[in-house]
Amino acid sequence: MLITRVLFNRAPKADNFWKRRRVFKLTAHYRGRKRNCYSIAIKYLHRALVYVKKGRKLKKKDAIELWQQRISAGCRELGSSYEALVRGMARCQIALDKKTLANLAIWEPRTFKSLTQIAAAKLRQEPIKGLNDISPPPAGVITRGML
Amino acid sequence: MSNSHMFLPSGFIRTPLQNGLGRYIPQLQRITLKFCKNHGGSRGVRDFIESDLMEFAKTNPGTVVYLKPRRHRSPCMVAEYLNGEREYLSCHEFSRDEVHKWLSYMCTRSGIPVMRFRKYQHTDYPTVQGVWNPFTHQAPEINIAEFPHEVLSRPLDHGPTATEQLIEIFKKTQIEDPANKPPN
Repeated sequence: MLITRVLFNRAPKADNFWKRRRVFKLTAHYRGRKRNCYSIAIKYLHRALVYVKKGRKLKKKDAIELWQQRISAGCRELGSSYEALVRGMARCQIALDKKTLANLAIWEPRTFKSLTQIAAAKLRQEPIKGLNDISPPPAGVITRGML
Repeated sequence: MSNSHMFLPSGFIRTPLQNGLGRYIPQLQRITLKFCKNHGGSRGVRDFIESDLMEFAKTNPGTVVYLKPRRHRSPCMVAEYLNGEREYLSCHEFSRDEVHKWLSYMCTRSGIPVMRFRKYQHTDYPTVQGVWNPFTHQAPEINIAEFPHEVLSRPLDHGPTATEQLIEIFKKTQIEDPANKPPN
């Protein structure tokens, strides 16, 4: 049997319809030819996918920045600072993350105030060099040596 | 990936009338199964009706089951919910198991339309202490204070004015008058 002829057979050509359908499903919300014409749509889809990948990190970064800004604003209103709060809380072994702190500052302002006061009381006991204490000692904080 | 290509409405998770908080009430009001007695596409539905339907009806006493045998029509099921929403599903060429699974899916749904949830938590009472407002941490004395106020109108990080500093310097340079000293 002549097998050389058989070896010349190439694999059947893949159906483009399904490959293009995968692209069109993702570009369904685009405008004009970018939605329906493959060679145009694929360019914009590739850009979109790149942005999606980049955006995953940016979203986290933006959220952290926003929380930090809100906590800082809340602290400054109460005469403290973001650094003082965070470092004071760390020394008291209160491990609350930025998201929770930001939510507390908005929805539970009195809890947030007591956290700033605890941190300030702790820093008054064990001052940190270089961290300027802006406010007078917090009123109404009774430590009883527990800090 | 952004979800715009799915064209789904988006919203926050909710449940009708806090279902499940006290008693759980299945939201499916009635289910209508339409099928043909002869055609092959309805075979799965017919098998389901013969075998599993009675058990389904017993386990879901709050749901009314209607059967509509219609000649030369492809099978379908229509679920109607307590909030008035309708859900149509074609059961053409379904197997008996598939019919059963889709039916139990309809049972567990509330009538709220399928949407993209923005958050998987919801609360009607997000705050216990009261939401922050600009007056939360202010002293209540500002309510009855008349402005301009001697203390409240000053900036917070003012520090001594130039006049006050000069007065301080002047006082330091003063020699104590022996006549002002208290007698020892």
